[in-house]
Amino acid sequence: MSDNRDDFIIAIRYALLKKGAKQKFSLFFLMMLSIFVITLDKLSVPFIFSTRAVLNDLVYQVSVITAIPGKLVNSLNQIQINHFNVINKNKILKEEIEILKNDRYNVLFLKTENKFLKEALDLGSARTINEESSIKARVLIDQESPYLKSLIINKGKKNNIIKGMTVFNNNYFIGVVIESNYLTARVLLITDLNSKIPVVIQDTNVNAILTGTGKKKNLKLEYLPDGFVLEPDKIIYTSGKDGFLATGLPVAETYLSKKNKLLIRTLGDPQQASIIHVTNGGFNN
Amino acid sequence: MFTPLKTIFKNNLAVIIFYALSFHTFTGLKEIPNLPLFSFNLQMIIVYFYVLKFPDSLGLGHIFLAGIINDVVIGTPLGTSSFSFLVLSFFTTYIRDHTLRPKMAAEWTAFIPALFVSNFSYFIIINNFSHLSFYYIEMLRVTFFTYLFFPFFYYLFIIYETKILKANA
Repeated sequence: MSDNRDDFIIAIRYALLKKGAKQKFSLFFLMMLSIFVITLDKLSVPFIFSTRAVLNDLVYQVSVITAIPGKLVNSLNQIQINHFNVINKNKILKEEIEILKNDRYNVLFLKTENKFLKEALDLGSARTINEESSIKARVLIDQESPYLKSLIINKGKKNNIIKGMTVFNNNYFIGVVIESNYLTARVLLITDLNSKIPVVIQDTNVNAILTGTGKKKNLKLEYLPDGFVLEPDKIIYTSGKDGFLATGLPVAETYLSKKNKLLIRTLGDPQQASIIHVTNGGFNN
Repeated sequence: MFTPLKTIFKNNLAVIIFYALSFHTFTGLKEIPNLPLFSFNLQMIIVYFYVLKFPDSLGLGHIFLAGIINDVVIGTPLGTSSFSFLVLSFFTTYIRDHTLRPKMAAEWTAFIPALFVSNFSYFIIINNFSHLSFYYIEMLRVTFFTYLFFPFFYYLFIIYETKILKANA
């Protein structure tokens, strides 16, 4: 019995300490080194921040180069799909233009009416959101990972991008900066499991937390009041209760799936983002 | 005097692919649009295969460094992937030392506990050293397809290492 145990311990020790003919390090040394690196990362020692920032910048730049062939294949595929979709889209767009033309006349009428009513009530000009300074950035890496849904952008601390800034694509909120290096930054997408945004639902006073599901566009609402029934085709806006995001930014919408199930999806498509805007909270186009 | 670039590339293909995958966070056929089902961890297959069959072709230092790069690209705590790959290497070394007559089927079966131990160490580090949430189903799916695709890459690498490299030697 004790012989068997001794053999097992010897075998493990041999596997850990043995070095091959061309191996420079033993497994034991490298495993200890990994644990040391993990511990340093966890303890947040000051020098590890700068080291990690330099390492991040370096790896991201190399990653951009290695991702070129993959991106080329994807873009060629996208061009092909777009080519076949263009006729159908044209038909739909023509119909939409007609509807929008009618809506525009209605809007013009409502604007005029609103102006007259304001004058009658002596309200003066409405308060507008202060123009936020937004920083334009390009998406360097948007590869999918099973662990984290994030983007790497080509602006960092050098361009005044700091942790916590909000990111928009085509006027839609898509994520928050979670890591800022000197030349690059990482954006956590709203579709990630770790993303939590305080929101309010259209035509209601109901507050909730919008959370990612890890899927491409789908999201879910948490902390809804008991008995509240969500309706389809409702826009979900930021409530601004976190004190950082501006109030009333459209984030997601509810819709009925093919199986007649009520789901929530993002308004912007983070997967398609190539040029994004980074702001201090709200985006005023 | 100087080794031609082509020869360096041929002799170190495993290392080059391994580093390229680390920089690119390759998740299998998921890269191809409209094929969301098949995602597998090719890095795990490479580590397991080369440590098992050709340990001198893929150094442990390379495994550690590629793991660090992988962590930077994915955004997990530094050293997590390295540790996970090294645990896999350790398990594989143990299997290699205790195998008298290597057979593909036996090695494929031994890949299950190897993957389990490696992913288990990954879970422990992520859960204790970071605030990240985990896509457990996605991980399970990736692990399953990693296991399933192993024989294909096994024969591919065997052909490359035994026939192509030896023919050119």
